[in-house]
Amino acid sequence: MVTELASLAEPSADARMSGAARTQGAIGAGITLRDVVKNYGDFRAADRISLDIRPGEFITLLGPSGSGKTTLLNLIAGFQKLDGGEMLVDGAPIDHVPTHKRGFGMVFQSYALFPTMTVAQNVAFPLRMAGIDRATAERRVAETLEIMRLSEHAAKTPAQMSGGQQQRVAIARAIVRRPRIVLMDEPLSALDRRLRESIQIEIRELHRAIGSTILFVTHDQGEALTMSDRIAVMDAGRIVQIGTPVDIYRHPRNRFVASFVGESNLIEAEIVQRRGATMALRNRAGYVFEADAGHGIEVGRATVLVRPERIAIADGPGPHAMPVTVTSALFLGEILRIEARADSGETLLIRCMDAAGRSLPAAGERLHVSWGAADCWVLA
Amino acid sequence: MTAAATGFAGPRRGSLRGRLASPVLLLLPAGLFLGFIYLLPVIDLVRLSVSGPSWSSFFERVFSVPLYWDSLVRTMQISLTVATLCLLLGYPTALLIRRSSGITRILVTAAVILPYFIAILIRTYAWMVLLGRNGPVNKLLTGLGLLSEPAQLLFSRGTVLLGMTAVLLPIMVLSIYSSVSRLDAALPRAAQASGAGPIATFWRIMLPLTLPGMGAGFLLVFVAALGFFITPTLLGGPGDQMFAMHIVQQADFINSEGFLQALAVVLLVITLLFVGVAGHFLGFEFIWGGGKAAGPAAKAAGAGAATPRRSLLSGLADRIGWPVLRLLGRLGPAWGRWTVLVLAGAVIATLIVPILVVMVISFSSASYLTFPPPGFSLRWYEKFFSDPNWMDAFRHSAVIAAASAVISVLLGASAAMGIVRSEIRGKSVIMLLLVSPVIVPPVVLGLSLYGLFLRFDLVGSVWGLASAHAIGGIPLVVIIVAAALQGVDRRLEQAAALHGASPLTVFRTVTLPAIAPGLAAAGFFAFLHSFDELVLSLFLSSAQLKTLPLMLWADINYQLNPVLAVVSSLEVLLVVIGLALAGPVLARTRAGA
Repeated sequence: MVTELASLAEPSADARMSGAARTQGAIGAGITLRDVVKNYGDFRAADRISLDIRPGEFITLLGPSGSGKTTLLNLIAGFQKLDGGEMLVDGAPIDHVPTHKRGFGMVFQSYALFPTMTVAQNVAFPLRMAGIDRATAERRVAETLEIMRLSEHAAKTPAQMSGGQQQRVAIARAIVRRPRIVLMDEPLSALDRRLRESIQIEIRELHRAIGSTILFVTHDQGEALTMSDRIAVMDAGRIVQIGTPVDIYRHPRNRFVASFVGESNLIEAEIVQRRGATMALRNRAGYVFEADAGHGIEVGRATVLVRPERIAIADGPGPHAMPVTVTSALFLGEILRIEARADSGETLLIRCMDAAGRSLPAAGERLHVSWGAADCWVLA
Repeated sequence: MTAAATGFAGPRRGSLRGRLASPVLLLLPAGLFLGFIYLLPVIDLVRLSVSGPSWSSFFERVFSVPLYWDSLVRTMQISLTVATLCLLLGYPTALLIRRSSGITRILVTAAVILPYFIAILIRTYAWMVLLGRNGPVNKLLTGLGLLSEPAQLLFSRGTVLLGMTAVLLPIMVLSIYSSVSRLDAALPRAAQASGAGPIATFWRIMLPLTLPGMGAGFLLVFVAALGFFITPTLLGGPGDQMFAMHIVQQADFINSEGFLQALAVVLLVITLLFVGVAGHFLGFEFIWGGGKAAGPAAKAAGAGAATPRRSLLSGLADRIGWPVLRLLGRLGPAWGRWTVLVLAGAVIATLIVPILVVMVISFSSASYLTFPPPGFSLRWYEKFFSDPNWMDAFRHSAVIAAASAVISVLLGASAAMGIVRSEIRGKSVIMLLLVSPVIVPPVVLGLSLYGLFLRFDLVGSVWGLASAHAIGGIPLVVIIVAAALQGVDRRLEQAAALHGASPLTVFRTVTLPAIAPGLAAAGFFAFLHSFDELVLSLFLSSAQLKTLPLMLWADINYQLNPVLAVVSSLEVLLVVIGLALAGPVLARTRAGA
């Protein structure tokens, strides 16, 4: 927390950016994917993916390894050729444009800084390649290093810098041309947690300042939630759901999204009755609860998502409280994390804020828990 | 409690037993052996070279006789040309290996590795066959109507350069490949994403990063070429005498003692000079394929003073280099791909075609060398296996090579243990000494050993020859076994010791199984080194102890009959079998070295 506050206290990227740079700042480009297909032999890594990325958007491809997110990024970068479908940038097809003519910026997981060049030379590289004259290039490099707070490291080589600094150099190199699109391939996965959080904030601010479209790839759902305007959740070469972080977290489309993003309790229940906007359900232990009726499910069984922090611990037994037995309880600082077993055998995960007078329950202790209709989300 | 007790009872630092248990002692056998049979003779060689009326009188003669001076200049020129050719042809080949995958990659790699392990004598012989009057090249040219009658393609500067380049190319390819393969695959992508086209990516990113590998390869080839004897003797004409050839010719005259040694010392000093300068910049690890660990960072730290010069250079690069690069960048990626494919394809053809031609000819039914053969038969195989001279030579070679492999593995492996597992200071100096026989020209080594062998009456003895061959075998074993040992997880050994295994048990149950493949590979290469060795044998063998290479050598000079093709094919077979067995191990040590 201290480092976060410290980095927030420093002038933001916005403020550090000179007026000239801001007016030059390119407006991001929109990317359209239509039925994109990529095969590796028999394995279909991208399975008819369609995606509309809005100009200037910060969009994250989120998924487990092997879900096709890096394949998609490599296709957009031009490292690999499409097997089907098309890709458009601002309406113009880019399938036949080689990587070096696409004009994107890219940040790599391994940083991929050129080891024989200094920091300044690394950052100047894209400008030199674009044929920008030396004086302008030097000015732009100095500006960009300033934004990334790297000015004093300009003469160092990558090997002389820490991982976090190297990643900032990589970001500087990716944005120095003010590209309309910046691709980021798990750029933070090699960093420790604190550094990761502070660079997350830095990238967010940067995005606001330069206005480029950012396509960010990660398998870390926390990172995706913090950073993105929208998240595209991927599984088995397809986009399963696309939406804002709030949308994805609160209203996941299926079990995969519900369990991949955040911690979740997935409760199997039977629909008892439907009254207008709510419905009554009964879980296997016979506990009856209400939920907002979604998706127009009328009868039969349903899976209900209740996030652990939405479960309340009641003071004692009551008609709307379900009795459970604590199996383990962890004190995480601001939060208590409790695992409990319902009488029907289902495991429930409960997270509640630490508060005065609340004691950590012991294993075996009986608790009474409840949740409201608005805390439930009925999965399709 | 028992653990603590045995801990106290164990050897203490400083006690006699403690000292005897130190791994440093493992260096002793190899040290003594090489000291006696390698360092001592070389010192003796230097002593004889300065034994004239004044210390410099023999050297003055070397440098005042135009014959030797011209030859020295010629040797430099040839070596430089060969190293440059190897670099130009080797780089695309290394790139091709890196870029290809699957079966293509295996075939290309095999085409480079296989010749690397086939005797220089045999590969040179293959070129003689290929370019001979009845050889396939002449047949092709006359068949196409480019020549009206077969021409003399051999015995010119061109064939010397061609033959030496072909013989030394694998060293270059492997050296560059080890540097190319260590590159982060994301680097070229990062360059592309930054707007660099294929040519700019190659020029600005790949080339600077592979410079150490190129430098090492260039130096290894250059230094090896300086001492070359076999290939220029067989493929060159009267105007292509290289320095090492003079040494061998002079060795026939008894009265040239002192002067002869001075010639050898000149070659040795020049070789060491180049190695020394190269080692200063690249780190001496280049000799055995290791990289200088802190290369770029260390240089950058001291780069402050060099800034003005660098900016001048980069100014030049900006004005001329960049516009040219951008222009070339418009050629499109297909050009680069085709350049690599065509060049590398030519290289692979050069490496593999001669060997294939020789193998086909060994089955010829003709009584002289001609390609394509008029018909096929096994008559030359029958001749080889029924000729007592050939069979004797084969037996001698096998026995000597086996003995040499045993010496090399015992001494080399224990030395490798000593160097990897001890905390001795100056490890790189010791390693350098152990590996240094690789860079000493074989002619110099042979000459220096001749005196020792005469004194101890070892000329023409099996063990003498085996020991001489082990001088070159030990470095191979040390390099391979040291790499294998470094691959052994120290924690496995510690875990075994923690659970009660004695040092000997740890070695037997953990270390030995882990390095066994490395030992086997090392043994095979030491065997092969001795089996192929010609130059030392020329100096140290007798008429009664003819080895296979000696028989080949004698026959190549007088009659190019197909029996030599049979011997060559059998050698190729031996190498193929050996590589098939050792292949996985080799791949690991090369990649990790």
